[in-house]
Amino acid sequence: MKKFPPDSPEPVEPEVETEHAAVFAEELRRAADALPERINVDAQSVEQGLAKLVLTLIELVRRLLEKQAVRRMEGGDLSPEQVEELGLALMKLEEKMGELKAQFGLEDEDLNLDLGPVGKLI
Amino acid sequence: MTRLYAYCVGDDLAAETVEGASGVAGSPLVLFRRGPLAVVASPFDGKAVPATRENVLEHSRVNGLVLARTTPLPFRFGTLVDERRLQEHLERNEAALLAALGRVRGCVEMGAKVIWDAAAQSEGGGESEDEGPASPASPRGAGTAFLLAKRRALEGAEALKGRAEELAALLAARLEGLARESSVEVNPAGSLVVRAAHLVARGREAEYRERLRALGREREDLRLMLSGPWPPYSFGPQRAERA
Repeated sequence: MKKFPPDSPEPVEPEVETEHAAVFAEELRRAADALPERINVDAQSVEQGLAKLVLTLIELVRRLLEKQAVRRMEGGDLSPEQVEELGLALMKLEEKMGELKAQFGLEDEDLNLDLGPVGKLI
Repeated sequence: MTRLYAYCVGDDLAAETVEGASGVAGSPLVLFRRGPLAVVASPFDGKAVPATRENVLEHSRVNGLVLARTTPLPFRFGTLVDERRLQEHLERNEAALLAALGRVRGCVEMGAKVIWDAAAQSEGGGESEDEGPASPASPRGAGTAFLLAKRRALEGAEALKGRAEELAALLAARLEGLARESSVEVNPAGSLVVRAAHLVARGREAEYRERLRALGREREDLRLMLSGPWPPYSFGPQRAERA
């Protein structure tokens, strides 16, 4: 079987041009490494997937709370004691999230969500 | 069961474009016609097409073969369908596919990716050593310090986002009058900060490269990668629906 029909124009071959091939290769390798070669549907991976989903949602809410707290602090509608109290509560929440992530072997990037046009969660 | 591996769809595909040529797994290319549309396909036995280097290149080569004559809408790698599903797809989406084909006619897709050093970009980007007290009577305990650190991080992220968006705008300005349409993804948190695809009229690919090369020479802090011409992977009918 011929690859090309007779008298056809040569296929268009895209060219890639950069003076920083190593940097882009590294970036692409990192992106490729983040993708699983295949999806395993076993009890452990299902549990891990569920934990990831739940922690992602908690992380989303936690970050929203932090932003809201910073806004309120900047707005001046909190007393110094309230700022301290709120900060401590959010600090503990961050620590707890760190423990949970470690328990399930998850990194910050694992809890990222691509929100489409809005961008990424983290 | 034999299914069809689909490469691309067009409204002006000629039989001689694929006659006598082969595709993935060495199968002969065929034109699957329904109404005004035709899909370049080849028979495939199996549940899925392995994502091997050879198969990916074969997919690209077949689309390049069609692109040498006209501009089709490419299917993503690994698209397997049976004839009935393909027929339904073409019938159901005929208007959207024809509209998308009209938009890309006479064009190719060119791509530009930009990498920056996010750490360098964030230097001086809204961070300061001393935030001052949260309020005059701030006790500056651990909780207050935590929130002040969060405020610095948020300001830094906002500044970075602003710079990334400026960069995307700069890219758009440089391609004014050349890019018929653009699909731009900005990711300030990553080092690959801009991924852009542009629809460019055939014959103007060199001009596209030259304009962005000039940008690369002016901005040494940016690392550019240009690519193309590609079939318009980023300008399919779904994009028109979103717009």
